[in-house]
Amino acid sequence: MWPAASTWAAEATAVFVKEWRCELRTRYALSTLALFAFTTLVVVSVSLGPLGVARSQGSAVLPVLLWVILLFSVAAGLPRTFVQEEESQTATALRLSATPSALFCGKLAYGLTVIAALEALITPVYLAMMSLPVRSPGLLAVALAAAGYGLAAGSTLVAAIIAQARSKGTLFAVLAFPVLLPLLLLAVEITRDAVGGDPAGVALTQLILYDACVTTAGLMLFPAVWNP
Amino acid sequence: MIHPGIVPLVPATLRFDQIRRRFGRLAVLEGVSGAVSAGEALLVTGRNGSGKSTLLRCLAGLLVPDAGTIEYQEDGGTPLEIGERRRRVGFVSPDLAFYGELTVAENLAFFARLRRAELTRGLDLLDRVGLPPDRRAGALSSGMRQRLRWAWALLHRPRLLLLDEPFQNLDAAGERVTRELLAEHLAGGLAVIANPSSLEIDRVAGRLDLGR
Repeated sequence: MWPAASTWAAEATAVFVKEWRCELRTRYALSTLALFAFTTLVVVSVSLGPLGVARSQGSAVLPVLLWVILLFSVAAGLPRTFVQEEESQTATALRLSATPSALFCGKLAYGLTVIAALEALITPVYLAMMSLPVRSPGLLAVALAAAGYGLAAGSTLVAAIIAQARSKGTLFAVLAFPVLLPLLLLAVEITRDAVGGDPAGVALTQLILYDACVTTAGLMLFPAVWNP
Repeated sequence: MIHPGIVPLVPATLRFDQIRRRFGRLAVLEGVSGAVSAGEALLVTGRNGSGKSTLLRCLAGLLVPDAGTIEYQEDGGTPLEIGERRRRVGFVSPDLAFYGELTVAENLAFFARLRRAELTRGLDLLDRVGLPPDRRAGALSSGMRQRLRWAWALLHRPRLLLLDEPFQNLDAAGERVTRELLAEHLAGGLAVIANPSSLEIDRVAGRLDLGR
């Protein structure tokens, strides 16, 4: 006999597994993210490829474009995680069943793994296509992990807010971009440090603090956003 | 035989008093009151748009009334907070949907994990309502979806069932099974049933006609 689920972690895990199970059977978000990311990547690399940006400017400009590609890819695919629940009317069953914090964390974990997969796919290709050497790959990995987490947490909360609104696409941009702007600025700065081989500096600490703030805000605000 | 309700040590009771709810300028509920105890059903009738579904959603904790009180207690003590009430009730409604990409068994297993119910109970309920466990929820007919709603509502053995048009789209066999489940539930639980017209149901302790 299967044991009954008895913990908050089990609830969050159940949400995470459900998200991936549904996604792997539809591939909607993965297709959207991948298509958007690769299209943008090709446009950027063709327009500003190794010969399109002066070598002296590459380390300053190219990290910005990497995070722009990642941000817009996430914005194209991740809000569906809550919008889909409202549109398919499964949100009622979830409201009656799930602990809000477990639901938030389960969907956050799903978003995080999607973003991690996106970063793992896009970043090496981008660096190769732009011929951008990275002197501190470890620092770049940390930046991708920390900023990726912040993207997931911020996007998940904003997605929950807009899911019940009418102009979802517009509202996501309006709400998410101001929230994510500090994260992007810090991510770009740390990425530049990684490219140049400079130490991380205070930006990494600020990014980690940002992640903690967004997570705390999400856990505190989500029950009010999700339930009546 | 599955007994969806449990025999309580202390009877559960639901009381709602002067419930008011409006959507913008439209006043849907204007001072609705009622009560039901364990072993009883309260039948709510009224025309389309009279507020039956709104009342049930308020009782389920899916909507907050603009005014009035809702008290639901299961152990003779303090009435449950709205969040706890939301998780305790069993709810059947025409607009309740499940994940079409998952099978019916996967859907119930998922919600069993959320509701901390026994995972085998989902399979037992599916067998009782006559649904194939490996059928994708998106491929169900309207009547089969209604059977799945019943199975989902009873998954965690709720004491309170809130049923909005519970026999909608069911064929004769489906209605027979769900009536049996309701009767078994009312052996120890309580129910509020909303339907456009009156229903022949045992243990109806009261009727609330929202009119209009």
